[in-house]
Amino acid sequence: MNCEVCQLKELEVEHFEIREVLRCILHTIVFHRALGLVRPKDVDLELFEITYVQCGDVELEKKIDEKIDHFISWVEKHPNKKSQICLSFYEVKSKQPSWFTNKTERLYWEQWYINLNVTQHPKHHSSKSHHTKLVVDPGESATEERSSRRAMVEASLREVLFQIIKFVNEKKDHVPPISEGVIYFPYEITIPRKFQ
Amino acid sequence: MASSHSNTHTEAAKLEQIITEFFYKSLLIILESRSPYVSSRNYSGEQIMSSPSSSTSSSSGVRPRDKWFNLALRECPSALENFDLCRQSNFEPVVIDVILEQKPLDWDPVTFSPKSDLVKHSSSKDKNSFFWNSDQEESGCEAKGEKVIERWFVQHESRKGRDCSSGSRRSSSNNLSALYKKLILLLRSLYVTVRLLPAYKIFRDLNSSGQIRAFKLVPRVFSSVESFTQKDEAEMQRFWFTPVDTSCGRLCLSVLYRSSISDISSESSTPMSPQFIPDYVGSPLTDPLRRFPSLPVSQGSPSSLPFSRRHSWSFDRYKASPPSVSFSPSPTHSESHALVSNPSSRRAPPMSLPPHPPGASLPHKKNTNFDEYWPSPNFSASPSPSPSPSPSPSPPIRIPGVHLSKDLLRSESAPVNIPVRKLAGSPALSCKQNLPPSPPLKISRADISWTDNNMGPMKSGATIEKLYSFGKGDGQKYSGVNSPRISVFRSSSRSIQDDFDDSEFPCPFDVEYDDMDPGSRPESYDRRGNPSDPNEAGLFMNRKSQDAAVGALVRLLKKAPPLRQDIPSSINFSEASRPEMWNNNIQEQNQNKEAVTVERDASSIITSSRLVASMTTADALEELRSYKEMKNLLLSEGGKSCISANLTSGAKHSGKGT
Repeated sequence: MNCEVCQLKELEVEHFEIREVLRCILHTIVFHRALGLVRPKDVDLELFEITYVQCGDVELEKKIDEKIDHFISWVEKHPNKKSQICLSFYEVKSKQPSWFTNKTERLYWEQWYINLNVTQHPKHHSSKSHHTKLVVDPGESATEERSSRRAMVEASLREVLFQIIKFVNEKKDHVPPISEGVIYFPYEITIPRKFQ
Repeated sequence: MASSHSNTHTEAAKLEQIITEFFYKSLLIILESRSPYVSSRNYSGEQIMSSPSSSTSSSSGVRPRDKWFNLALRECPSALENFDLCRQSNFEPVVIDVILEQKPLDWDPVTFSPKSDLVKHSSSKDKNSFFWNSDQEESGCEAKGEKVIERWFVQHESRKGRDCSSGSRRSSSNNLSALYKKLILLLRSLYVTVRLLPAYKIFRDLNSSGQIRAFKLVPRVFSSVESFTQKDEAEMQRFWFTPVDTSCGRLCLSVLYRSSISDISSESSTPMSPQFIPDYVGSPLTDPLRRFPSLPVSQGSPSSLPFSRRHSWSFDRYKASPPSVSFSPSPTHSESHALVSNPSSRRAPPMSLPPHPPGASLPHKKNTNFDEYWPSPNFSASPSPSPSPSPSPSPPIRIPGVHLSKDLLRSESAPVNIPVRKLAGSPALSCKQNLPPSPPLKISRADISWTDNNMGPMKSGATIEKLYSFGKGDGQKYSGVNSPRISVFRSSSRSIQDDFDDSEFPCPFDVEYDDMDPGSRPESYDRRGNPSDPNEAGLFMNRKSQDAAVGALVRLLKKAPPLRQDIPSSINFSEASRPEMWNNNIQEQNQNKEAVTVERDASSIITSSRLVASMTTADALEELRSYKEMKNLLLSEGGKSCISANLTSGAKHSGKGT
């Protein structure tokens, strides 16, 4: 079974947007891979005009939040760096027992790479010095700039979500058969080593 | 042979069933995300789980049809109940038009109630077509300003030249399970996609916002439709879901949608004709000087108080039309862009909305969904408000089967104000006089005056309870009346205050009071002199609410020693001791008579004092005066007898001496 890889489009986000963006993307992917009986739960993002879907599993939600926390702390240690988070789905296969190993093996059949470029808040990007001259009514232009930036991020996020939908639609054969009683396939969320 | 034939027949039947259920499920997913008030947004997963199962399914609350494709949604709209019957074959396509429909100008929110029905539309060109109209009553009205913003196609295309029953038996079951898995994936994608398209925003706004819109979303189901004109089609974008092959064809799902619907919705939001809304609660901003008559003027300017609660008037801040969004996610395009022309626009209600008590809300929730405070339950966490430049007021939102104007008030007006207004209209109560007074307090000098007023409160309380139960029966719309007594009281004093929060309302007192003569309370307070607890009094006096101060006064009066018990006990003690004292002092003279007289007087006083229970303050004062007179009399008599005794003893002494 081949492992399908999907590299999602890079998103330029600010630090405070990481959590919402990652939640949205990760849950959307997992919802498409939660092929057991689910009762979908609609979640409206607070920062963007987007509604995504969770599969309604509380444990899953907790685990994803934990991983996002871990990722955020990593980002804080490595500011202004492009980062990536990887969501992998695997099957557990037992290795042939040998003298040395009697372990199970993970066969990855799908990997999603979420690419983020975490930027700082562009407070001073328009000025060279920190002590800028007084601008007449700077609030409005800052608000407009923030709004347009927010709109761009929203559009990009929407693109990413449609990218997920397209990928899920186009590639179905590699998905393992559904096991009885299993809601979602085993998965793991990691930060690739080259980014660590 | 027979067994192989039956196996094939079984497989074919299963395939048929899978395809039928796929049509049903896809229709359900589309309709429930495009039909306002018929949505799974208002139903959390827990709620669905708790619904009683009508099937013999082993899992809790799962209906048989829920299990199809492992996607449990809420109960199907009634329109879908006859869906299977109306379809003649699985090769018949299903077309769903999502129409943005402008409401007719003569639309009456009071009488309007939408119905969902799946009916045959015989007048259409295709006699086999059927449509599902969410507004049965409007089907006869001339439709104005209809615009198809989405068109969904669900179709099972047959593969020409191939028999469905052909194919190896060995692989047929494998094929079925693979097909089933792929259809699960397809429906998952569909579920996510319907929420990403522009029409969903309109649907969500209609469902969650209490704002009245001049348009609505109407999904209609057809078996065949006329194609769009070239011009219309040019304005629309198409999104194809990857078809899923079956043994005799392939299942196709696609959508034509308008990427930019802001212009349409803004066109549709024409001002409605003015309508009279009874029991309308005015805006403090427009009428800041308006106060409830029971409140003293010295309360202070309402404008000086921070106000962050949402009232019906606050809908001025919200657009009549949704914020204009030009949306083209364009999965079919290489690049997509989204321009938000109103970038500051956000979803619904402000965060300052009070949280609903459990069971009173919406949905949301859910999430936290606080914007489900309004007709849709999302009372849950609400996103930030959506400021809007246009200050036009909104007509009442259409809520099926409910008296809308009042419900609008209950859902949109300030929850604090609603009960007062209702009281104003109620024959039993008025905000001026009939706010229930306190229950009987312990008798004290100042409290005597309260007792007479206690005939009213029981009736008022009952009325309030009736209001409460009446309000409660309408669920989330009456969330502002959850603590009716408190809310009634608060409404008289805090109509202009911020932070109305039923669940956290610190009731300054747990009694109702009579605000007929608020001036008397300070007087009685002053009459009593210093409060028993100056610190507490000071604390209360610092409160903004005059009524809170009155509540403090009530508390103080409650703590005051009872008048009735004090007077008799003091009299008992003092008057009983005096005869003893006098007996002790005046032994030589015939003081017993006087002592007996005094005792008799004391006992009579005691008896009489017991009858004082229901006396008024004036009576009590008179009694006090009479006691004083008696005391003086007794003292004077005692003095005289002492003098006479002294004189007598002096005379005897002198007589002996000589």
